[in-house]
Amino acid sequence: MSKRQLVALLALLGLLIAIYLTLYKTGAIAELNCTVGSCETVQTSRWATFLGLPVAAWGIVFYVALLALALSGVQGSLAESRAVSVALVAVTGWGVVFSAWLTYLELFVIHAICQWCVVSAILVTIAFVVAWLDLRDHRPAETALSA
Amino acid sequence: MVKKQAPPPKRGNPKAFYLVLAAVAVIGAYFLYMQMRGGSSAASATTIDPNVPLPKAEGYLLGNADAPVQVVEYADFECPVCAYFATITEPDIRKRLVETGQISLRYMHYHIPTHPNTWQASMAAACANEQGKFWEMHDAIYNAQDRWAGTATRKPKGVLKDLAGQVALNVSQWETCFDTQKYQPQLLASQQDAEKRQVRGTPTFIIGSKMIDHNMSYDQFKAYVDTAMASAKPAAPNDSAAKKGT
Repeated sequence: MSKRQLVALLALLGLLIAIYLTLYKTGAIAELNCTVGSCETVQTSRWATFLGLPVAAWGIVFYVALLALALSGVQGSLAESRAVSVALVAVTGWGVVFSAWLTYLELFVIHAICQWCVVSAILVTIAFVVAWLDLRDHRPAETALSA
Repeated sequence: MVKKQAPPPKRGNPKAFYLVLAAVAVIGAYFLYMQMRGGSSAASATTIDPNVPLPKAEGYLLGNADAPVQVVEYADFECPVCAYFATITEPDIRKRLVETGQISLRYMHYHIPTHPNTWQASMAAACANEQGKFWEMHDAIYNAQDRWAGTATRKPKGVLKDLAGQVALNVSQWETCFDTQKYQPQLLASQQDAEKRQVRGTPTFIIGSKMIDHNMSYDQFKAYVDTAMASAKPAAPNDSAAKKGT
């Protein structure tokens, strides 16, 4: 499996979690399957909404964008594109920053941890590392003096 | 000058990749579907023994005690999905089904252990019931859930007392009732009743011979009522003399 394929897989897993949390937030799912932490406390806090939408719904937008980007990066001519690698690092980097902020809120403001949010944060962090390695693979050709 | 090319990145096997992706998507979709428990499908309901009598003078009754279909809801004031049901779906149910005499709705307490303030909210409602204003307090409590729930405060009494004033209760009488936990035995009885019926989450509804353990839209709720109506016997299984009260 290539690095971009791995990012796509991680994005799909993240997307499923975001859909799950959004369904809970909208009432379609009655209770969260939460064996560790206090998912409900986090999901019902005022921090679970961002710019008028549930944070989980923003997660759907984020992971769909990441999935689309990663999938486009494994297609034909784009497979060697450095621009895709840069975009992947930028998007996953943003995801890491946002997840870090959410984790900070969970630990120090809400004082409760949502296991699904933690899993999402781990996924996006792994995706960032993989995207970074992918960018290194797609570095521009170097020039060197011949001996 | 010689150009030094970086080795080409690994491309991965596309066929295997898409297979893995599809498998994850299918398993994930199935998990989500199971969590939603079928939505509109009546197959997601549990069939229960209709011979087990419904609660008698327990809970809080809305509507005609002799209505052809008598619905029981087990709910927790601190449960966000219950609040969603109470504020979004229930107004329609009251107007179109309760007020037209098709159903009665009985509210029963089932307290989720992880909700720190739910017992106090139930007590607040029980004390409002003493003054004949359970349903007004019920609505006020759910509407203000974000102000008194455990995520907002560890001392919900202040907000609950405000709500008692808002629904025009005799606040002094309400407060005495609340502080002395006057209706604690009734709340416990309701909890035990729910456990006896194997209620495991909220909201849970009993409509006819079906126990539905998830939130519903109005249309889904109505479909269960219609099914129960079609099989309703002349004499309802519930106690026809049931009155509003704990």
